Amino acid sequence: MITVAFIGNPNCGKTTLFNAYTGARLKVANWPGVTVEKVEGSFRFQGEDIRLVDLPGTYSLTSYTMEEQVSRDFILSDEVDVVIDVVDASSLERNLYLTLQLLELGKPVVVALNMMDIVEKRGMEIDLHRLPEMLGAPVIPVSARKRRGLEVLMHAVLHHKEQAGPDPLIHEHKNAEKTRHRHDHHSEYAMVYSDEIEDRIDLFEEALRQNYPGLSNYRWLALKLLESDDAIWERYPVDLPRQQTAGFEDRVINEKYDFIEEIVEECLMGRARKAELTDRIDRILTHRIWSIPVFLCIMALVFFLTFTVGDFLKGYVEILIEQLSGLVLSGLTAAGCSAPLISLICDGIIAGVGGIITFLPNIFILFLALALLEDSGYMSRVAYVMDGIMGRLGLSGRAFIPMLLGFGCTVPAIMASRALENRRDRLKTMLVTPFMSCSARLPVYILFSELFFPDYAMLAAYSMYVIGIFMAILVAFVISRMDRSKTENALLIELPEYKLPSLRTVFIYVWEKVKDFLQKAGTTIFAASVVMWLILNFGPAGYTTDMTQSFGAQIGRFIVPLFVPCGLGFWQIVVALIAGISAKEVVVSSCAVLFGVPNVNSSAGMASLYAGLSAIGFGPLNAVCLMVFCLLYVPCAATIITIRRESGSRRWTALSVIFQLATAWVMSFLIYQIGSRLL
Amino acid sequence: MRLNNGQTGRSYCVQGLELPQDMKRRLGVLGMTKGTLLEVMNNKSGGTMVVKIRGTRFALGKHITENVEVAEQ
Repeated sequence: MITVAFIGNPNCGKTTLFNAYTGARLKVANWPGVTVEKVEGSFRFQGEDIRLVDLPGTYSLTSYTMEEQVSRDFILSDEVDVVIDVVDASSLERNLYLTLQLLELGKPVVVALNMMDIVEKRGMEIDLHRLPEMLGAPVIPVSARKRRGLEVLMHAVLHHKEQAGPDPLIHEHKNAEKTRHRHDHHSEYAMVYSDEIEDRIDLFEEALRQNYPGLSNYRWLALKLLESDDAIWERYPVDLPRQQTAGFEDRVINEKYDFIEEIVEECLMGRARKAELTDRIDRILTHRIWSIPVFLCIMALVFFLTFTVGDFLKGYVEILIEQLSGLVLSGLTAAGCSAPLISLICDGIIAGVGGIITFLPNIFILFLALALLEDSGYMSRVAYVMDGIMGRLGLSGRAFIPMLLGFGCTVPAIMASRALENRRDRLKTMLVTPFMSCSARLPVYILFSELFFPDYAMLAAYSMYVIGIFMAILVAFVISRMDRSKTENALLIELPEYKLPSLRTVFIYVWEKVKDFLQKAGTTIFAASVVMWLILNFGPAGYTTDMTQSFGAQIGRFIVPLFVPCGLGFWQIVVALIAGISAKEVVVSSCAVLFGVPNVNSSAGMASLYAGLSAIGFGPLNAVCLMVFCLLYVPCAATIITIRRESGSRRWTALSVIFQLATAWVMSFLIYQIGSRLL
Repeated sequence: MRLNNGQTGRSYCVQGLELPQDMKRRLGVLGMTKGTLLEVMNNKSGGTMVVKIRGTRFALGKHITENVEVAEQ
């Protein structure tokens, strides 16, 4: 088996290529930093087992963020047999920097030239004969999206897997003076530096050879020492004074870029026409004044569509569930099943799971809208647009991307915070991201706002999002005020070209989310519904049809006093909220089970839930408190696990959970106390 | 002059970067070193800008742009 790693600049199409080979459906989008984890897949090609590893994008082998560290560590490990350097051909100058670094590693490198279609569209051409001559590595044009060149690329990989040195190099170096160096490196390496730097490299290489015999890539290590790379200095210290490296780092970078300019000059034809469309769009979307209103309008539109189009489609799903429910009921009765079993299936499972599935259309629309935003290239712009505001909160605009992703699902949003450079920013972002209302909270708002504020349902649901954003901003602001150590959070993010969202990408994105949702309905929500039914229908006296005598009621009543001050002093609601920690939708499914409503999202179901809630004295103000509490308290078990993993600290995770619970309690307390005095 | 005073649509040549070593390196690998040509694509009043460096657009925060010395081309 051979291990092949994909590495390349962010957003150059590594994951698209990975998906094309392995049939995986990893998330792809048009902004830098989508992939934050190393992902593996395998397939067979011409009788060889190939293990393919997709790595997070990086601009260089010097690492600054967590994800870049992942890529660097893996590429430097002995696991890799062949490196595929994915190069965005439409941005050759930038991408070749990493290529030159990779070639210096001394491992077999194959260059995959992606996005050739864009190059053509711009009226440019790349000299595919000259480029490999200059790099000393095979260059294979591919189109990850159109799945072209895939076999040729893998074929090249198989051919090069044992090749240690470069392919024959043919250089002209018109601009360089004739070298007087004692070695003529031009036949050995693609990247040859000026004589002065080459002398230095020799010096360090010699020291390394003496101190650490048996290594393979002395030249690369010598260069890294010369570039003052801390990690390499720590691992391979040499007796040469480190001051000797002063200033060389810049020169090494500059000479690499000089060579890249030479390559681009020779290999890229027709550089006249540039991509003007992106600049024209940016004139509006990143406008000095209009960019923020435009962004707010886009987000308002996203949620408007989620509520209106989603509600329109919802009717059909309801009919389906209703018929299914009726069918099952009559079937079970006809089969002579016992009452508890019928109750478990109809009042427990169908009420709980079925009730949640009716929200699928809303969630589908929300993710469709987010997929379009992500694949168009707008995400990075949002980081730019929000940088001013985020700067006042002590964060860079980049931290807004995880927050925006949080509208979809908190778990990937928290993982996206890996792209932030320092840990303090990452923790802060992780703390506020859960306040961004995720799709799981949507059913709670839709249901309760339509129940208690039928005329202003959308406004009520909107305001939850606004409260969430407001809380996130407030918390970030307070922390930045308390935080004495002033770190400068400088924004640095690539703005990719805009493109029409690809049908395939959007489809995969939305389908994966819909699948997750259905899976959650079939597992977490299913289990939660069964457990709910059990604790509500069994009490100290065994099976009971009187819920007030159940275990659930007893647990609820025990905690109720804590929730009375915030308008949630009903044992049913308390039980639903506790169950909601497994997943937020469970708050809704639990209510359905609690009040025995088979189709909670239909008008008949709503009427009976309304009647049930009114009977226990749960009114509009309580509904607001419930929605706010759901917005702010711990999103779900999966989020807690993710925070634990990403922060690496159990204590910090516990603190953030307590903090969220406290925030939810305080906010609903304030609303209830103020509200009940005003009304 | 400093980059944050750069005007949209004009090109500038980097004269020097007065930034922490780490940030200097990050910009360096993106090809923004002494002598690099930049084109200002957008400049918000705060100093957050969009700059084209070697064919790619980057958004740079004001902490960066304030500390980059440039000369107009």
